[in-house]
Amino acid sequence: MDDHKSIYLKNAIWLAILTFLEVGIAYIEISRSGQVVLLLAFAATKMMLVAMIYMHLRHETKVLKRILFVPIPAGILYTVALMYDLPFRWVM
Amino acid sequence: MNQNQTQAIPVNDPFGQATTGKLGMWLFIIVDGLSFTGLLIAGIALRAASPEIWPVAGELLNIPLTAFNTFLLICTSFTMVMALNCVQKGDQTGLKKFLGLTMAGGVVFLGIQVYEYSHFIMVDFLPSTSIYAAIFYVTTCFHGLHVLSGVIYIACILRMAGLNAYSADNWDHVEILGLFWHFVDLVWILVFTVIYLI
Repeated sequence: MDDHKSIYLKNAIWLAILTFLEVGIAYIEISRSGQVVLLLAFAATKMMLVAMIYMHLRHETKVLKRILFVPIPAGILYTVALMYDLPFRWVM
Repeated sequence: MNQNQTQAIPVNDPFGQATTGKLGMWLFIIVDGLSFTGLLIAGIALRAASPEIWPVAGELLNIPLTAFNTFLLICTSFTMVMALNCVQKGDQTGLKKFLGLTMAGGVVFLGIQVYEYSHFIMVDFLPSTSIYAAIFYVTTCFHGLHVLSGVIYIACILRMAGLNAYSADNWDHVEILGLFWHFVDLVWILVFTVIYLI
């Protein structure tokens, strides 16, 4: 098995393990905030593995990587801003 | 057309040796990713506004079945990257085999999603049932349409592969297809976590 195949296969195995652990976290009795943080951390790790290894982002230039990662903090900022706005606008 | 003859941006360019087609797909991925972000943020905001109407994970949705679907999509990402690996080495048989496996995985994923929807319809869990149901259907349907587009896209590339259009010197289209398919997998990872598990 050549190097690339080995890396791709190991990545798939890690993704499957992380998915299995994620499902486990959804069922175990821990604090709600802890559960959310863990699930989001696992999801972020899986997304990074797909982007870096399968999409070969690790081989791309810094400029392209920056362009791709800029919308992420923008999305987080938008979510946080929306959360602060909720008590004033979203009365359901 | 030879890989070196495609419209490559000069080597000293900030984007390296990425072709214009590849850069176009990355740009599409950013825009499409923001569309998904908008849907997920809407779901998070609506949930935060009325957490009492949101069901607990696993109460309504079939997590084991969807976890299997997630695993399946991960497997198709592996087969897709293997298809690219094969064509880069000039292995035409491997390219067709792995593209075929990826397409089959995508079809099974869609089949499971349709089965899940049919079950929900039978228990009266419809898009109009609640705000939670609306968010669930809109987000998963939007993703499902991406999978369907991906399957059609793979079928087109597979047809071209059947005509021996790709070789060790010409695999740009396969790489661009791979970027789209991996993006579909990447987005599902987030959708699965936010909609099903949290």
